Amino acid sequence: MSDPSDDTKAGRLGTEVPESEVPESEEEPEEEEPEEEQPGAAAHEELVAAAKVETPPAPPRVRRIDFVSRRNWYFLFSLLIIIPGIYFMVHSGFALGIDFAGGTEFTVRFTGQPTPSQAQVETAVSALSAGGSVISTGNGGYIIRTPPLSPAKQTAFEDQLRTSLGAYTLDQVLEVGGTIAGETIRSALISVLAAAIVILALLTFWFRNVPGGIRAGFQFGGSALAALLHDVFLLTGVFAILGSGLHLRIGEINSLFVTAVLTVVGFSVHDTIVVFDRIRENLRVSQRLSFDQVVNLSIMQTAVRSIITSFTVVLVLVAILVAGGDTLKGFALALLIGIVSGTYSSIFNAAPLLVVWRKLQPLR
Amino acid sequence: MQLVLSWPIRLLIVIVLAFSLFVDGAGYVYRIANHYPLTGNVPGLPPNFGGWQLYFHKGLDLAGGTHIDYQLTNFPVGQARADVLQKTITVISKRVNSLGVSEPEIRGAGTNNDRITVDLAGVTADQAQKVIGAVNRLVYTKWVPDAKVTGGPQPGYKPAFTGLTGDDIASASAALDQNAIGWVVNVGFTSRGSDLFGTLTTANVAACPGDPNTSLAANCAGRHLTTWLDITQKDIDNWEDPAYANKVSQNYDTGCLATATPDKICPKLLVDAVTLQAILGGNAVISGGGNGFTQAAANDLATGINAGSLPVDLQVLSVQQVGSTLGAESVKLSIAAGLLGLSIVVLFMIIYYRVPGFLASLALLFYAAAVFATFKLVPVTLTLAGITGFILSVGMAVDANVLIFERFKEEVRAGRTIPAAVDAAVRRAWPAIWNSNVSTIFTCIILGFLGPGPVKGFAVTLGIGVVASLVSSIIVTHNLLAIVMAGSRFRRPGLMGVDRVRSV
Repeated sequence: MSDPSDDTKAGRLGTEVPESEVPESEEEPEEEEPEEEQPGAAAHEELVAAAKVETPPAPPRVRRIDFVSRRNWYFLFSLLIIIPGIYFMVHSGFALGIDFAGGTEFTVRFTGQPTPSQAQVETAVSALSAGGSVISTGNGGYIIRTPPLSPAKQTAFEDQLRTSLGAYTLDQVLEVGGTIAGETIRSALISVLAAAIVILALLTFWFRNVPGGIRAGFQFGGSALAALLHDVFLLTGVFAILGSGLHLRIGEINSLFVTAVLTVVGFSVHDTIVVFDRIRENLRVSQRLSFDQVVNLSIMQTAVRSIITSFTVVLVLVAILVAGGDTLKGFALALLIGIVSGTYSSIFNAAPLLVVWRKLQPLR
Repeated sequence: MQLVLSWPIRLLIVIVLAFSLFVDGAGYVYRIANHYPLTGNVPGLPPNFGGWQLYFHKGLDLAGGTHIDYQLTNFPVGQARADVLQKTITVISKRVNSLGVSEPEIRGAGTNNDRITVDLAGVTADQAQKVIGAVNRLVYTKWVPDAKVTGGPQPGYKPAFTGLTGDDIASASAALDQNAIGWVVNVGFTSRGSDLFGTLTTANVAACPGDPNTSLAANCAGRHLTTWLDITQKDIDNWEDPAYANKVSQNYDTGCLATATPDKICPKLLVDAVTLQAILGGNAVISGGGNGFTQAAANDLATGINAGSLPVDLQVLSVQQVGSTLGAESVKLSIAAGLLGLSIVVLFMIIYYRVPGFLASLALLFYAAAVFATFKLVPVTLTLAGITGFILSVGMAVDANVLIFERFKEEVRAGRTIPAAVDAAVRRAWPAIWNSNVSTIFTCIILGFLGPGPVKGFAVTLGIGVVASLVSSIIVTHNLLAIVMAGSRFRRPGLMGVDRVRSV
């Protein structure tokens, strides 16, 4: 695939084998290649090829797509999602899963026919335990949540539920006391924080060899960290909206969600490092370009790769979201949102932010 | 890059691949070697290769079972917490053994030696908590006359506390007796217990001297020392009710005791033994009389005695019970998701990058084989989150290849020959690959140490996956590319997925 930066009209297809070119152009409709030639006009192509075959490779032209100067639009777009998310986070908090909220959760599947309706289950549960809630998972499956029950009470609950509603298979029982729930939240926060600090330090160290030294390295690290925080806030914000704003079960926060956030952090940093590494290389190679131009060139050179990698992961995640078990759906959705956000933030936020920072604090 | 492309490295890769495939297919190797059918149950699995049992260790969310976190409270004064924790773990292990669980996992946790986590496959939370959580107190009683008593093992007598309890016992274990005919239980006392036990047994013998085995007169109630679980003053007060006394004097039932309510009468008798002679050394042997205990009965008794000597109180922090159906379903779903993910990625790579994509897919298969083998060898306990970590690491494994291939196209466009472009692409893409993967490895390390429980499994599999993906993308793909490039047939730009190429 050609890079958007270089105008490939010139001399393209000059030495191509036509039959291998045809399927290729059909396979990737999502690639951003506005200049892709339509197959089919073979005779015309040959004419064009004959005319242009000696044209030397075009030097990379800068500013084909100007990412950097439109940076404020990209920042605005991010804020449009993040600010409502933060509003919901502050205003109504999150819908907490059982491992954060504490309590006892029974996952049951009634085997008798007809299976009891949600209203029947709710009536039975409220008769057995105050503060219980019922969620239907379809096909006679229910998730019943109650405040924490002691072992004896838990057994009694199971027995009485069986008496009042008929036989069921008990797929899962989760009981989480308040102590553990608090610890899980704390260790989740600590690990996100620790990961952020380590990443800042690593990037500052790795990018200390760009012109400008360790301070430039810190700018790289700081910009990557900002992009990373962008993803964390965007993801948690969207889940706050889904969970406590729209009251969807998929928007619940649990320890798998924390895993998703940290994975997203990893992926986002991957993308950012790839762009930054290219910036570092281009700063060395193309010394006549301005910093803006170098950043823009680097974004264009790496955007295809970032989009392709994320695209493959997105394919896998959609597979999990569609075919995977109920427990993994929220997790897959979180990763999906996060990875799209991570790719967006490294292309449209991290590198442009570096330009802004460099303008505010010039190093050369 | 000369080092990477050398033949010793290639040989090493082939050896690693062969070994990985052997480990992955250990079950099939065993079946074929022993002429067993390839499917269905056969004896001797998982096979044991010189102490290595090669199979996937499934976490509870996949195997079905119960996970419990306990908080330890009421630590005995003057003992090191680590020792107390270790002792508690030993006691719980003994209790759990009575459930017949395969591979129970009982681990200490917490920063202050005050947590224990228990993983039991194929057991309901109910059963597990009854057996583990039951804080049975072992109590020794002697018999004192009470004319109104008509029930129980010693009519005319009721039990009386002696002050000797499970706290005074250091250990109890089942063993074959001296003649190796029957089983006995060896009990070791602490120094305080040893003194008390000496006094009590001396008094026993003084109550009716003689040999209880031959003389009936020497087997009087006063010569019996009786062990109970959880016997209370209330039980003794009710001893004159024969039905009550008979019920309590049946062989102990920890299940009943675990769910006891104040009105429920549970069997509490461990053993009602006649004292043969005064025991002063602090070590007693409980024999079954005649041919002794059966092995199972001796084990039960030893477990019962140990059960009484749990040094701390256990408080349940969290319980997770997963039904075996759900576990099996999760395994199926994860395998399906994994295969789906892998095939999507392979398909995409081949369509998009042609020959290099195909080679990268081969490297991906090497990667999958090596990672699975690592899971079996370490062994890594696979959980749902862990498998997801693996599936995601496939995406990361591809990333390094995508970086190299995109760079390769650029180099070709810039006018390099294909072999030179491959070399330049690998060299120039390397810093980005290295930095991004190292940052992921660091994240995994942080998660492994600081993250909440379920996240740890994810961090381990993702970490292993990232390391393996580095090897597969850099070494394996590069070597395959170099080998294929050696033949000029493949140097056609269409096969290489590039737009144009300067003639060689």
